[in-house]
Amino acid sequence: MEAVTRTEADGLAGPEPDSEQALYHLPEKPLVVIEPHSSWVALNIRDLWLYRETFYFLVWRDIKVRYKQTVFGVAWAIIQPLFLMLAFAFFFGQLVRVSSDGAPYPIWVYVGILPWTFFSNALANSGNSLIGNSNLITKVYFPRLIIPSAAIAAGLLDFAIAFALLLGFIPFYGLGLSWSMLMLPPLVLLVTFLALAVGIWTSALNARYRDVRHALPFLIQLWMFATPIIYPLSIVPPEYRWVIALNPLTGIVEGFRSALFGWPFNWGALAFSATITLFLFVFFVYVFRRMESSFADVI
Amino acid sequence: MRPIIKVENLSKRYHIGTSAAHRGALRYTTLRESLSRMASAPFKRLSRGGRAREETIWALRDLTFDIMPSEVVGIIGANGSGKSTLLKILSRITEPTTGRVELYGRVASLLEVGTGFHPDLTGKENIYLNGAVLGMKRREIARKFDEIVAFAEIDKFLDTSVKYYSSGMYVRLAFAVAAHLDPDILIVDEVLAVGDASFQKKCLGKMDDVTKSGRTVLFVSHAMEMIAQLCERTILMKDGRINKAGPSREVIDYYIGLYNPG
Repeated sequence: MEAVTRTEADGLAGPEPDSEQALYHLPEKPLVVIEPHSSWVALNIRDLWLYRETFYFLVWRDIKVRYKQTVFGVAWAIIQPLFLMLAFAFFFGQLVRVSSDGAPYPIWVYVGILPWTFFSNALANSGNSLIGNSNLITKVYFPRLIIPSAAIAAGLLDFAIAFALLLGFIPFYGLGLSWSMLMLPPLVLLVTFLALAVGIWTSALNARYRDVRHALPFLIQLWMFATPIIYPLSIVPPEYRWVIALNPLTGIVEGFRSALFGWPFNWGALAFSATITLFLFVFFVYVFRRMESSFADVI
Repeated sequence: MRPIIKVENLSKRYHIGTSAAHRGALRYTTLRESLSRMASAPFKRLSRGGRAREETIWALRDLTFDIMPSEVVGIIGANGSGKSTLLKILSRITEPTTGRVELYGRVASLLEVGTGFHPDLTGKENIYLNGAVLGMKRREIARKFDEIVAFAEIDKFLDTSVKYYSSGMYVRLAFAVAAHLDPDILIVDEVLAVGDASFQKKCLGKMDDVTKSGRTVLFVSHAMEMIAQLCERTILMKDGRINKAGPSREVIDYYIGLYNPG
């Protein structure tokens, strides 16, 4: 990019025709070549890096805007998981008495709600992100992957705030620090990448087919029931357990609980989640890149 | 001297489709339509050959031209002649169907005033957001910040959400940010007719500075006087092709002559 240098062009009143060569040192190769896309489109990492500030500002905008003109402001990041926890603790912990593998149900369910709230919000926000930013897509260029990614990255702040509340619960429930908590950062990374993979794909589908907008909230709800958040995997009959285990979120949610309660990790499930996540991420980014060129025409 | 923009055999085809015409403004498709079209397409093609012809439109047809560094070029033509499509391809917003463009410099395009403005953010926040969206670096915006505010004449309202701005204040701020872009190639669609008479004069003055600073500028407008004043060369487009290109005065006179015969 820096190959193009303009030598103090700004200070000149106006270029004489023969001074133009001195003003520009045109690069030998074009900075940008615009062509119809070929069937294979690589992930243009150089371009993503060049536009990193656009990414940063879109994340910043999403965070700034989210709690503008609200009374409770950023407290919403806590209200949502906290009230879910109270409701679940009352209905499933007290009334139905669902097992929580020996841990106190309220905090046990909160640990499941944490990654789930992040994941479901990330999915909902990124799924609608391309449509919500159609004014940008039809007027300026930047790698479109930035849009759904920024929507997800902005959700990490809410996740961090809700997590801070969890740390407040820990002494209250008599839980200690343990080495297994070191697994938390990789788990957060994993759930972020899973959200990125699915969110990138849904956003692209949504740009083309508005059906996604209607299907998404309800699919997210179904996904919650397919994930051991309000119930432990251990109460699922063994013959059905594989269905739940196919869900890449299962290993992640169980992983969060193992990390915080110091339980043994199910490494097999985690490896499975990581493999699926990686595969989905690569595949959906590819799909997105294939569809990307037509966004401005169809959105 | 080598060109800074090289356009070769550029064409763009849009699918308009008979069904799209029925839906009017709703241009997006639903999954069901896509599936049913996929299922029925082979039969339709069997029953009436050449159906594809009525479903597409060529917005650009085999365009070839060069732009030299520091040139200020106007692009004129009637509505639907392909001007905006050309700018959109050069700005990388949409892809060509065939052909190739080579750009030997950084491009900033200004197809609309206030792209990316968020109504809930303050004037100050929007300067940063809009600048970033248009391709400025954070340091660059910070450096030009005072200049932008002074140009827009909104210093008293910097910390007010732009949704409370009058429309005049809004476009002044938007134009001020855009006017402080510093690319090698600037692509401008009809966006200068903003604000009141005194601000328009200021805008024109600013554009004049920009064009004299050695930057390459592509400039679409229907305001012929502005084109004649700012651009040395003008391209006249018609039906997706270059109808005439040459010194601005000549091309503009020819264009006006087309509609006032005799």
